[in-house]
Amino acid sequence: MLVDSYSKRVFNMAYQFAGSYEEAEDLTQDIFLKLYNSLPKYDFEKNFSAWFLTLARNYMIDNYRKTKWEKKTRDEFNEHLLSSDAFDSPENGMVREESKKIIWESLNYLSPEIRMTVILRDIQGKKYEEIAEIINLPLGTVKSRVNRGRLQLAKILKEKKERKNEM
Amino acid sequence: MKCEKVEELLSPYIEDELSIEEKKAVESHLETCENCSLLFSSMGETMESLTEFPELDVSESLLDRIYAIPSRKRRFKFSFDLLLRPSLQPILAAATILLAIISLYMFHPERNRVNKFVDRQIHLGYSKVGRLYAKAESFATSLGEQKENILVSLKNINPLGRDED
Repeated sequence: MLVDSYSKRVFNMAYQFAGSYEEAEDLTQDIFLKLYNSLPKYDFEKNFSAWFLTLARNYMIDNYRKTKWEKKTRDEFNEHLLSSDAFDSPENGMVREESKKIIWESLNYLSPEIRMTVILRDIQGKKYEEIAEIINLPLGTVKSRVNRGRLQLAKILKEKKERKNEM
Repeated sequence: MKCEKVEELLSPYIEDELSIEEKKAVESHLETCENCSLLFSSMGETMESLTEFPELDVSESLLDRIYAIPSRKRRFKFSFDLLLRPSLQPILAAATILLAIISLYMFHPERNRVNKFVDRQIHLGYSKVGRLYAKAESFATSLGEQKENILVSLKNINPLGRDED
């Protein structure tokens, strides 16, 4: 029941955060193990989804901090994503695909905290209030992190495009 | 409005979180500043790319690994639970004390003296028990000799104080 409801969500979150399919699988397994160990501490008055996603988010960031020197690269962009629906449509031209590739690869340039906030807001489409609950920070801080993350990614995209036009 | 300030306001502008004045200021800046205008379009493209990030399915092998966690954990927990069961704690405490005494005895530097002391104590104990036994025996003998007298005395006792007819 728990696995059916949350495995996909946690796996995708891990994949968006880590950028590696294998690592996302390991992270998901570890997070479920941590969940089973932490379940006795769960306060039934709290929102379970937010509690579990907080646990997952904390685990991913802690794990990243411990092994950050090994986490410089992400999977090849095409490896897992090109087979999915987002690239089936004919209007997704080469330029657009190139931009997506740049954004996807640039996620790793963001600090883990900002990256996670951007993932929750822009990839998963969560409300700011939900994100504030998950990362346990004030609404203003969440918005500021999202702004900084978007700005960093937009600057990377702009620079790469300008460099390409110069060539 | 300076470019740095506009950069800060781009994201709230896209999310329609600015006041009317701020919104107008950003728009007029974007009309005149090519750099900020390019950054603004890049930000739009960034957000669109992130929104379209596809959702992946979980592999069967990962699901199997996750489903296997509770039973693995139960096996692991069993061994610990057995040791940590509260009912076993007095037994474990007694065993610990016993082991401590045995090791103290085994590794005592003057073990021979300890042995002699223990022997002497055991002998003293034996002789005390022997003496007690002898005393008990003489008491039983004297009790046997007085048996007849005691029975007569008991028969003569009249607890209710009634006269014999």
